[in-house]
Amino acid sequence: MSRALLPHDLLALAIESLWLHRMRTGLTLTGIVIGVTAVLLLTTLGEAAKRYVVNQFANIGTNLIMVQPGKTETTGMPQPLGGTVRPLTIEDVMAIAHEASTVERVAPVSIGTASFEYGGRTRDIKIVGTTADYQKIRNMTLISGRFLPPGDPRHGEAVAVIGRTVATEVFAGESPLGKPIRIGQWRFRVLGVLESKGQSLGMNLDDSALVPVATAQRMFDQRSLFRVAVQARDASSVPQALRQTREVLLRRHQGEEDFTLITQDAMLATFKSVIGALTAALAGIAAISLAVAGIGIMNVMLVSVSERTAEVGLLKALGAARAQILSLFLTEALLLSGGGALAGIALGTTIVLAAAAMWPDLPLQPSPVWIAAVTALALGAGLLFGLLPARRAARLQAAQALRGRM
Amino acid sequence: MSPAGGGSAPARPAGTGGTGPPGAEPRADGAVIELEHLSRTYRVGESEVRAVDDVSLVIRHGEFVALMGPSGSGKSTLLNLVGCLDTPTAGAYRLAGEAVQDLSEDRLAEVRQREIGFIFQAYHLVPRMTAARNVELPMILAGVDPRARAERVARALEAVGLAPRAHHRPDQLSGGERQRVAIARAIINEPSILLADEPTGNLDTRAGAEIVALLERLNAGGLTVLLVTHDPVVGARARRILRIRDGRILSDGPPESPAAAGGRMGRPPEGVA
Ligand SMILES: Nc1ncnc2c1ncn2[C@@H]1O[C@H](COP(=O)(O)OP(=O)(O)OP(=O)(O)O)[C@@H](O)[C@H]1O
Ligand SMILES: [Mg+2]
Repeated sequence: MSRALLPHDLLALAIESLWLHRMRTGLTLTGIVIGVTAVLLLTTLGEAAKRYVVNQFANIGTNLIMVQPGKTETTGMPQPLGGTVRPLTIEDVMAIAHEASTVERVAPVSIGTASFEYGGRTRDIKIVGTTADYQKIRNMTLISGRFLPPGDPRHGEAVAVIGRTVATEVFAGESPLGKPIRIGQWRFRVLGVLESKGQSLGMNLDDSALVPVATAQRMFDQRSLFRVAVQARDASSVPQALRQTREVLLRRHQGEEDFTLITQDAMLATFKSVIGALTAALAGIAAISLAVAGIGIMNVMLVSVSERTAEVGLLKALGAARAQILSLFLTEALLLSGGGALAGIALGTTIVLAAAAMWPDLPLQPSPVWIAAVTALALGAGLLFGLLPARRAARLQAAQALRGRM
Repeated sequence: MSPAGGGSAPARPAGTGGTGPPGAEPRADGAVIELEHLSRTYRVGESEVRAVDDVSLVIRHGEFVALMGPSGSGKSTLLNLVGCLDTPTAGAYRLAGEAVQDLSEDRLAEVRQREIGFIFQAYHLVPRMTAARNVELPMILAGVDPRARAERVARALEAVGLAPRAHHRPDQLSGGERQRVAIARAIINEPSILLADEPTGNLDTRAGAEIVALLERLNAGGLTVLLVTHDPVVGARARRILRIRDGRILSDGPPESPAAAGGRMGRPPEGVA
């Protein structure tokens, strides 16, 4: 004679009793659903943020080292130290290019804003001063025309490569190539139009124009560059390129390290770890709601056991073993938590997919790892919090339990 | 006081006296229930309640026995001991030849499943389940093949005359009908003993009479019946009445003779003869 309930009987009995108290079952399920959905959404957001940052970094280019004027302790924003900050100059850039053997390319970057004008239409845009090498460093492609010409970076021509938005907004269908334009009070000629790359780390090149760096410095009367982008030959030579760049600059700055070198990897690692910690914290908070939902299961099961004392007595009189009673109540708890997890996953995934459809730029996608983790967590909570009530039921003394009301 | 069963053949005239402790094997004389100096004491704080006090008796296969006595005399306690729902605090109990007084709870559950059908005054049907599902329950617990169940349920409901009510829930049935569902449930696993604790207590005379008639029919088919009742009319239908007071058996004998002499008047078991 078998002492275990057949799986389909176990399920049927558990569902029958859960169905009897639909309201209560529904409310308990809701708790689990909310917990599971919360965990899922928050972790998906965290993952998306991480992926977003990684994408952004890939967008900037590869094997990059950024040089900024001023010394900072960490990878934050540069702060002048004691007022004796030497400017980063175009000559510094040329020295790095000549002397640092593991550096593939190096490009100066200076930044300003000005109004861009053509045919009576004007638009305030960002002006980026740089050199021809910047194209390869930032992986930029052109829709039409060509990029800034190579040559001595100290001499700037009056030419500009414009972003996609500028082209469509200001030229309105006309081809911008070769057109005479005005930036501020200077006259320029359009050389090319950049392919759109979207926002990348706060820098939207779509709504800007690239001009030779010397030209930009003259326009904005700047002595120092905003930063210098250094690209190492390959990933393995990044540390060496970093050292060589530092040596060149130290020598040129009379031994004083009044600049900051940041590798792309270091920035990425910082971002990733911050986002990772944030995600974990959010997931932890969401998991608390899951624990609360688990206690809800325990509460409902305890009520159920005390309501069904006579039923347990009857089952025992009919020959049910303790393990059978235990399995019955545990199955109910697991159905609650498992059902809640399933519904929560469905809801969470639906929300994520809907959000991904609504904002295609966000790299939102449901994470199978977190789905598995949250399912395990919910089932674990069901098991843990179902165990106490189920054991209470299984240990009821048969003759005593039968005295209860049916 | 202790009518321990003798060692002779089942068909012999009953009540020929006891000869000592029962053997290890199922007894040739058809003894199913053998109680020896059985006691059940409840501890309530400092005091003790001897709900069943040194009871010895033998019930043979196929007997129809009524257990009568005033309220609080220990009838339910004794019935629960016989049904292996409770364990004695002293004494020995052999059920179908097997010593059960020291069995673990799960072993007792097995014994209940195999040997015993229960009927309660309050029916104890699961309210959310249909009559058929209630009757199926013992088979579910016994792990009976699902394909075999429906037929057995139908036959059991047929046997208690409730086939048309198979899909009614308990609250859609009369008291008498509910008790008949409970009886169908009690016999579905083909036990050897039927234990009924005031099965007619909640029923009017007519419904009660139908239940007793049903129990008699099952008894005629070979089932041993032990029935607790307050109702002398119901008791009179039994072949043997055990009278109990303060946990002790006062008398044991057929209904006609109120058995002042300690009740050694067992009757030939009908199903065996
Ligand atoms: N769990 C218990 N704890 C303490 N005392 C109990 C317990 N169960 C029963 N008793 C006591 O044991 C005695 C016998 O009780 P039992 O229920 O067997 O009586 P009964 O003959 O079935 O009575 P009734 O006809 O009213 O059902 C009573 O005095 C009762 O108070
Ligand atoms: Mg009673």
